[in-house]
Amino acid sequence: MFDVSLVSKAIEEGNRENAVQLTTEALSAGANPQDIIAHGLQSGMGTVGEKFSSGEYFLPDMLMAARAMNSCLEVLKPLLDKTGIPTIGKVVIGTVEGDMHDIGKNVVATFLKGSGFEVFDLGLNVSDKKFIDEVREKKADILGLSALLTTTMPFMSRIIKALDASGMRSSVKVIVGGAPVTQDYANYIGADAYAHDGGKAITVCKQLVGK
Amino acid sequence: MAMTQKQRILAVARGEHLDKLPFGARIDVWYNYHSAHKTLPEKYKGWSQTDILRDQGAGAQYRFPAVVKEEYKDMEVVEQHDPPNITTEYRTPVGTVSKKEIFDTSEGPWIKYEMEKLFKSEKDYPVIKYVMEHTIPVDNFEAYYKVRDEVGEDGMVMTGAGLLWSPVQRVMREIIGYELFFYELADRPAEVEELIEVMKDLERRKLKIAIKCDLEIFNICANWSDDIQTPVFKKYFTPWFQEVSDLLHAHGKLAMAHTDGEMRRLLPLFPETRIDIAEAVTPAPQTLVPMTEFRRELGDNITIWGGIPSVLFEPMYSDEEFDAYVKNLFKEMAPGYRFIVGMGDNLPFDGDINRVGRVVELIDKYGNLPIEI
Repeated sequence: MFDVSLVSKAIEEGNRENAVQLTTEALSAGANPQDIIAHGLQSGMGTVGEKFSSGEYFLPDMLMAARAMNSCLEVLKPLLDKTGIPTIGKVVIGTVEGDMHDIGKNVVATFLKGSGFEVFDLGLNVSDKKFIDEVREKKADILGLSALLTTTMPFMSRIIKALDASGMRSSVKVIVGGAPVTQDYANYIGADAYAHDGGKAITVCKQLVGK
Repeated sequence: MAMTQKQRILAVARGEHLDKLPFGARIDVWYNYHSAHKTLPEKYKGWSQTDILRDQGAGAQYRFPAVVKEEYKDMEVVEQHDPPNITTEYRTPVGTVSKKEIFDTSEGPWIKYEMEKLFKSEKDYPVIKYVMEHTIPVDNFEAYYKVRDEVGEDGMVMTGAGLLWSPVQRVMREIIGYELFFYELADRPAEVEELIEVMKDLERRKLKIAIKCDLEIFNICANWSDDIQTPVFKKYFTPWFQEVSDLLHAHGKLAMAHTDGEMRRLLPLFPETRIDIAEAVTPAPQTLVPMTEFRRELGDNITIWGGIPSVLFEPMYSDEEFDAYVKNLFKEMAPGYRFIVGMGDNLPFDGDINRVGRVVELIDKYGNLPIEI
């Protein structure tokens, strides 16, 4: 039986060529695509997330791992068209209105995708309305809000209030993050959670969906 | 005769021991926002930033773009303005590249943000290289002197030869974008390194002009985050900073880094850069690093400017909590030399301007040197 953990190791090392080759070999050996995803790709990204949070890994390590993972997903996608890629929850994520920074948000989105979440990334400078509409349309489990400036941070509170006003607050968990954002601030504005970095976001988001 | 705010800041930056902590406060985000929205406090309507800070009793930290401007030769540069959007196209004999930026100080920040970077794919390398090689630095001293004279002895005007970033950071952030930069560095390292060298050459040409400016402190870099820059810092950043710091020192000037991000893994690398001042130092709770760690890692010969995270000015913290934080900050920084009190890195738009005055009062109460709390 093919050892799918080899795929996980290649993802951790950010070795795209090796990861893709091992994924192809795993399929040839009869491995189940869902197993490759769970025990190869998601496991690898989970380890990358832990190492990122612990300080061992840096952004480039995460980027290489994510690129390797995405390349493996391209190999697996045709086989998953009928069953789809299993997900543990839906996340709508974006940088709030007026804020043009997206790297932190991109890191979180990548980790969440790699961990089994279906992620709808709205990009940067996202209006309150767009967030609310997307949460409603996608029936998101989690709304992730990112802000890198103290001038845009307060818009997170505005969005939470808008969710409340629209009657949707109880149906979605809100997680916030970004350079000026702290746990205190998250508590202050009534967010459900805060994550300092992408690695921690995986753990927190899994807790939010009960995984 | 009592020292002015500017003299006190410069003295500490040069390593002198004073009788009390200086305070260089930055409020441009707050000021820009409330000026644009016409919501300045009644008392301060029509006042300048420096006047407001003078009224609060603090030294001013005023931002000015750069003492050197960039002009272009042997190419056509076309700008389209659709406020707040700016699209710039560089039409060169070897090809055309373009970028889209957004610039609107009404929400606070004073710099342009790139919505679409100049670099899109590998075919852009020769064009961007051409643009850099045909960029002509021109002095912008008069505009800087005008602002400097307006601020006068009430504080410092923070500026440098370039806008904000070192050459490699310009390539990483401004030209390519962080994520694509690392993919390109992995896939096409020679091309990326060539671009960095061309950018360094441009910045050297700018420094050659800037060094003639009557400017005491040069801001030579900004906006690091240890998860981004650490892996490439020693190879690409340190040699440049050493080169620039040595040049500035040889001309009696000081080098400053705007270190407002997550700095833990970068701090051990900082002393080797020979940069004199770490400014906009932002400690916990806004980052993971306490001030004691900043001081320990930076040592006694690097001036720390900062210490009060922006979030502390937010209404979610009471005045009592704010005062307790600042008092503890002074205690952590005891004996207090090589330390200029400041924000990490700005007064937020919903911050209380009167907390600037509170810091001044706390300095009067607890900030005599050496600090003994």
